[in-house]
Amino acid sequence: MWSAKETDLLRLVLDALIPPSNDGRVPGAGADVAGFIGFLATAGGYAHDPNGCVLRLLDFLARDSVDFTALTPPARAALLRRAEQERSADFATVLRLTYMRYYSRPQIRPLFGLSARPVHPDGYPVPHEDEALMRELTEPVRQRGAHYREAAEGAGR
Amino acid sequence: MNADAVDVLIIGAGASGAAIAWSLLEMRMRILCLEQGAHMDDRQFPSRRDDYELARYGEFSNDPNIRRRTQDYPINVDDSCITPVNWNGVGGSTINFLAHWPRMKPSDFRARTLDGVADDWPLDYAALEPFYAMNDRNVGVSGLGGNPAYPPYKPELPPIPIGRLGQTLARGFNRLGWHWWPSDVAILSRDHDGRQKCVNAGTCDLGCAAGAKGGANFTYWPILEGAGVELRTECRVREILVNQATGLAGGVLYHDAEGRLHEQKAELVIVACNGVGTPRLLLHSKSNLFPDGLANRSGKVGKNLMFHPLIGVSGVFDEPMKGHEGPMACSILSQEFYETDAKRDFLRGYGLHSGRSTTPMTYALGGYGIDNPIPWGAEHRHIMDDVYPFLAGLTVVSEDLPEECNRVTLDAEMTDSDGIPAPKIHYRVGDNSRAMLKHGRERAKEALLAAGARKILSSDDDKVWWRAGWHQMGTCRMGNDPETSVVNGWGRSHDVKNLFIVDGSLFVTSGAVNPTSTIQALALYIGDSIKNNAGNLFD
Repeated sequence: MWSAKETDLLRLVLDALIPPSNDGRVPGAGADVAGFIGFLATAGGYAHDPNGCVLRLLDFLARDSVDFTALTPPARAALLRRAEQERSADFATVLRLTYMRYYSRPQIRPLFGLSARPVHPDGYPVPHEDEALMRELTEPVRQRGAHYREAAEGAGR
Repeated sequence: MNADAVDVLIIGAGASGAAIAWSLLEMRMRILCLEQGAHMDDRQFPSRRDDYELARYGEFSNDPNIRRRTQDYPINVDDSCITPVNWNGVGGSTINFLAHWPRMKPSDFRARTLDGVADDWPLDYAALEPFYAMNDRNVGVSGLGGNPAYPPYKPELPPIPIGRLGQTLARGFNRLGWHWWPSDVAILSRDHDGRQKCVNAGTCDLGCAAGAKGGANFTYWPILEGAGVELRTECRVREILVNQATGLAGGVLYHDAEGRLHEQKAELVIVACNGVGTPRLLLHSKSNLFPDGLANRSGKVGKNLMFHPLIGVSGVFDEPMKGHEGPMACSILSQEFYETDAKRDFLRGYGLHSGRSTTPMTYALGGYGIDNPIPWGAEHRHIMDDVYPFLAGLTVVSEDLPEECNRVTLDAEMTDSDGIPAPKIHYRVGDNSRAMLKHGRERAKEALLAAGARKILSSDDDKVWWRAGWHQMGTCRMGNDPETSVVNGWGRSHDVKNLFIVDGSLFVTSGAVNPTSTIQALALYIGDSIKNNAGNLFD
């Protein structure tokens, strides 16, 4: 069970890793902190001890009685860079899991042009090039002629 | 389970095992295939789930060391810069392959004669061509006829769309006067033969829930099972048995799903476990007659392992490239630098493959086959908003030359769940391949700039893609000389006359193209040779 304090801290960490866009169009990863915590419970197939990695990172950020929540965004980033150096394995796992959770969300995919729904059965409509276009594109290649070696004839094209 | 002796025992239900079973159907023999994995139908493929992309990093990873399903065996890769990837199950690695379908070229079979390097194959392109065509008909191949990089042939189905990304790159190649062509793919561009066409989902590596991809699970196996071929799944072969009096293979020992050991007798044994699994099994099949592993009097079993070392170069364009739409890895292919050119500092050559289906998640995590996440923080926001949508990439796929130091051995400690030793990979990229990749990186940059890229993203270190060991070749090479090869020119072991090998381990050279088309053509060729030699098969 995550305490409110831990959850608040984690929200800020996630937003520091994937910040929201300035125009508010794309949310930061912190907006989904509850979803991320839920994801950790199922993430054992993607990382060893996901919960432990996150908790150890949060411990590091709170050491020496530092109040991460009171820091300015640049100061938070600086502290996270220290964590990246000094707790590299835990940090790398948290970063990877953050990216995985964030970009697997159906709400996020359309912001990057992908479909919110699963890609099957509908996929994406991609029109076939018409024959004229394909002929125009390939004509210069055809004009240059054969582009392989006849093995029986030895070297040279 | 019927333990009576069968006429033909095939080990492995992947690309090659399925193809040779089909070839042998007309002999009306009792054919049994043992497969360590299970059947998986399209409803089990993850691309119908909301979180489908996560599967790529877990239970549907192409890396068995990550996936760790019951049917998988671990692979020790501590001594390799490339890790093998695969799938174990009915269809084998065609379950999660990308279905890029280029043929090898005439010169690929004559590297020694033409370029003084490696060895010639004991057969040539002309001998294999009818089997390429036969296999293409069975699989369903889309492409554009008239490719000047090959002797004439025409795929049955029109090409899949190359999309904005492919068109953009094609114009770049044209500006440079370089070869390119729409990729041949074992993916249906229209409904065909009772199967649905591709819907451009971009999840070829997650099993193709549409059934448009020409995996052996969709193409050969429905026919084979309908025709009475017995497919015994979740059965892992432990050892091939040899009659110590006759020197012939007598059958196999295999474990069922519960780990129980069974013996299965057979008149003819065909190994179809590909370039890592096949040498692993032979090396583990030791006896008084074959103390160094079955069919290994040449000492070549496991040696000459070839991958296709890869690097990628990306360009940032002004317009969104919609790289997530369309089949993965298959849009266009340039073979401008495929053939040897004496002016270069390497022999043989490489292809420039356009890549697709890079999604936000795969890009953020470093790219397909790479574990190197992009930066976090403000830079992350910039990359994902201002760079990612505008990317188009080229992959340099280099020919790997055979070298005995690159090899598969048995690990001394690591085992699978049945206690069978895991394979260990010893592999480093040779100097020739490194020179080739360096050349290819610069040419890829030129092509992307010519296509209109405003910025190039390329690492100049010498790292190759880690999770790029799809193409596992050379570890039981074919040849006419029993001293330097494991099997003869039609796949029969020099040492054991009723033992055949039909997979990528046969390759004498690797070419610089995806090998599955050639693997299946070879399997059909070997099947045809078995039929033609039926009267004196074991002489």
